[in-house]
Amino acid sequence: MKDLASANLDNMTTAEFEEYLPELFESGGGSISKDPRFANFFKAHPDCASLVRDLETIAEQAKSLFEPSGEGSGSEPSDAVWSNIASKLKEEPPTTKEN
Amino acid sequence: MQTKPNPGFFKRNAPIAGEAEAIERAKNGDPDAFAKLYALHKRRVYTLCLRMLGNVSEAEDMTQEAFLHLFRKLGSFRGESAFSTWLHRLTVNLVLMHLRKKGLQLVSLEETINPSEEDAPKRDFGSRDTMLSGSVDRVTLERAVALLPPGYRMVFVLHDVEGFEHNEIATMLECSTGNSKSQLHKARLKLRELLRESQALQPASVQSADSLAEPAAQKGITR
Repeated sequence: MKDLASANLDNMTTAEFEEYLPELFESGGGSISKDPRFANFFKAHPDCASLVRDLETIAEQAKSLFEPSGEGSGSEPSDAVWSNIASKLKEEPPTTKEN
Repeated sequence: MQTKPNPGFFKRNAPIAGEAEAIERAKNGDPDAFAKLYALHKRRVYTLCLRMLGNVSEAEDMTQEAFLHLFRKLGSFRGESAFSTWLHRLTVNLVLMHLRKKGLQLVSLEETINPSEEDAPKRDFGSRDTMLSGSVDRVTLERAVALLPPGYRMVFVLHDVEGFEHNEIATMLECSTGNSKSQLHKARLKLRELLRESQALQPASVQSADSLAEPAAQKGITR
């Protein structure tokens, strides 16, 4: 992973900047587009600004996928799954506390 | 690699009403309490399995396995992390074990290190007028995620959806944290490409999940 600390943004191309993005996203908390350190660079490279904002949007929207979608047969297992579990549980001894 | 807290993750794993009591009762062998835990978490666990496996039948099998495993291991839950975090970690490990047993290359990330030319994201930065911002709805994104190459999908789901840290993913997938970060970046690039393609197929007024429906059906999420 590349570290931007020693890089010169004045001479950097969009492709070169992209190489730093994996680390920047990890360290920047997902708000690279608003980071003042890169304001001039993004102004000079609108395509890169667009890329960064798109990736931020995708990462942000991904969080909404954590909660399953609304009620419906496609968002939960069939009733047979619980029937199988309940059936197998009857065959197993009760759980024991581990320490 | 330093581990940093992920506030969004903990926000998404807030305790559920009645969960703590159900856990304690289930630990003591109360079948109704275990049924309640199943009811509270079945959708999240199933959705996680489905995203990782891309196959309804396998996802149901692994959901069953995850809850049976939970029943056996519940006594070891100490409450040091949110119960849902613990359960998801247990589920992810079971799914990965299942995939390893199947001998898939997916878990080694081989295919994502050297994805096929077709699957790898293109070097296309786009322009301001094709920006996605504010126009990606949940269903569209879900369908695009299903179209990702399996290795990309795995890292994306674990990090961006489930909230696992790169060092945790690296441990689970037996790769380096740098590899995990790199694969996540490529996954997001590929998603951007898929989402822009879907938008390009639709007039602005009807841009919706429908544009990804056909490719999803053609390529399928079943392996």
